[in-house]
Amino acid sequence: MIKEIAVASGKGGTGKTFISSNLAYYIYRELGEVVAVDADVEAPDLILALGGEKSRISARDYYGAYRPIVDYSRCSRCWKCVDFCKFGAMSRGKEGPVIDYSRCEGLGACAVVCPSQAISLKEAKTGVIYVAESAFGIKVVTGDLELGGGTSGRLVYELKKLARSFINSGYVIVDSAPGIGCPVISSISGADLLVVVVEPTPQSIKGSRRLLEVADSLGVESVCIINKHDINENLSAKIGDLLGIEVVGKIPYSRDVVESYSMMTPLLATESPLKPLLENSFSKILGILT
Amino acid sequence: MLFKLVRLLRELRETVKHMIVAVAGGKGGTGKTTVAASLAFLLSRRAKVLLGDIDVDNPCSYTLLGIELKLFREIYAYRPVVDESACKLCGLCANYCPVHALVVIPGKKLIFVETLCEGCGLCEAVCPHQAIREGKTTIGYLKTGSIKNLDLIVGELKPGSRKYHEVAEETMREILKKTDDYDFTLIDCPPGTGFSVAEAIKHSDLVVAVTEPSRLGIYDLVKFKKLVELYGKKLIVVANKYGLPGGTYKELEKIAPDSYKIPYDDSLVKAYIRGKTVVEAYPDSPSAKALEKLSQLLLKL
Repeated sequence: MIKEIAVASGKGGTGKTFISSNLAYYIYRELGEVVAVDADVEAPDLILALGGEKSRISARDYYGAYRPIVDYSRCSRCWKCVDFCKFGAMSRGKEGPVIDYSRCEGLGACAVVCPSQAISLKEAKTGVIYVAESAFGIKVVTGDLELGGGTSGRLVYELKKLARSFINSGYVIVDSAPGIGCPVISSISGADLLVVVVEPTPQSIKGSRRLLEVADSLGVESVCIINKHDINENLSAKIGDLLGIEVVGKIPYSRDVVESYSMMTPLLATESPLKPLLENSFSKILGILT
Repeated sequence: MLFKLVRLLRELRETVKHMIVAVAGGKGGTGKTTVAASLAFLLSRRAKVLLGDIDVDNPCSYTLLGIELKLFREIYAYRPVVDESACKLCGLCANYCPVHALVVIPGKKLIFVETLCEGCGLCEAVCPHQAIREGKTTIGYLKTGSIKNLDLIVGELKPGSRKYHEVAEETMREILKKTDDYDFTLIDCPPGTGFSVAEAIKHSDLVVAVTEPSRLGIYDLVKFKKLVELYGKKLIVVANKYGLPGGTYKELEKIAPDSYKIPYDDSLVKAYIRGKTVVEAYPDSPSAKALEKLSQLLLKL
């Protein structure tokens, strides 16, 4: 059976990719079977943290949306489509409806309500999905959404499905986007465990609480890792109670972390004295899942 | 470096009366909110400032400024409401629903899975028995607050709702209604390069991209810069945490040779932990001084 672990945080920059990359590396080293998913499709960079790309396994365009196309010769300018669209994506033009594709959800209601069959749906490319082996041998599935794109949730589901196709057992690690929006919901839903990466700051704790509300509504079990715990020991000591979940690890603020990033090497592949701290947290996480 | 920045800002001042500045940058945690809230605080000493927060997943600007918010109004999206007494269980709505949010158990019940619903309204349109009518669901909140010369408009997503773009866009709409009343409108954006960031950039006169000297910060900045170029907007890259040991400075110089640097110092972290802006908590620190200088460049010009 495949277990899926989502790594997320309500606030950006708390260390999601740091934890995801090292967790993937740890499982790869200890157990072998793991695929990492970069679900931060607006700003994907997980493969960099895993040593960069060694070889490309596959790449394909992602057609994440349908786009309505208007045949103006058939349009009777009854404006039913414009009046009906719930997303404000259609407006009246000279020859017929004008579509603002950045607002269009591509669900095709306009085509159905059109009495003249003047609207058809065409698949549209909204991103790229590629699979690569990182320098440390770990398979990474990455989604890269087009600039200003809006169909991130569906892309994340697609990435997770693809990742599962590469293994029969073992783990899928999902490095989520920051926040609690659509791509994050897709990252968490269906996961066996959510690892919340939290910093001892009011902003990060507020974000984590919002994230846990989402996880609860999806029925996903959660634990947290406190990153940079030593920048505020007092607050760190309270985080478990404040969030109401188990703290499986505390990582201090360290130059080793910054440097492991600039060398594009997971911290666990370096000689850092922090390694046991991470390894203990990860072994606790795997313990919860077995 | 400063020369170019001064020239860029002078040009802007000559053409724009009510300046709209989007503060964004790609990677999370680089200091967008710190920069936006600090600049808003500093500018508001000499000008009328509106700070809009469209990081609706976790808006933090008001916490850093210690401003209490009031609910202005709720933000809704379309949701179908099923009238079970009128429903004949024909299943037409379920056939048409593009996201399979409606399921019919033949002869028994119509089940509506709200979490899957995107709110397109097709079910209501195709139902031959008028058993589905228009309803609404709360997807977020618009909140407001102020201190002295500084007003805030904050958008907040209701946890569990997928409609973060819609909440951000509605917040943007509210902000844009008011910009003519202010000398400066600053927009604190979410991380990334998605729809709502694009919306903010589209309506701005100037984009401030906050980055940090880390590999991931710079990598994400590359994608972000393309988005700014797409709309042909003026861009200032603010290199926050400059001087952080182990940082990737060569790469930063390559991608953003003219960046405005905010030196890394402990006050930045200390202020953040206290939930305050560095300019308010430690006005004499090097990072606060750099932010102050940037605000003066924006003001005087």
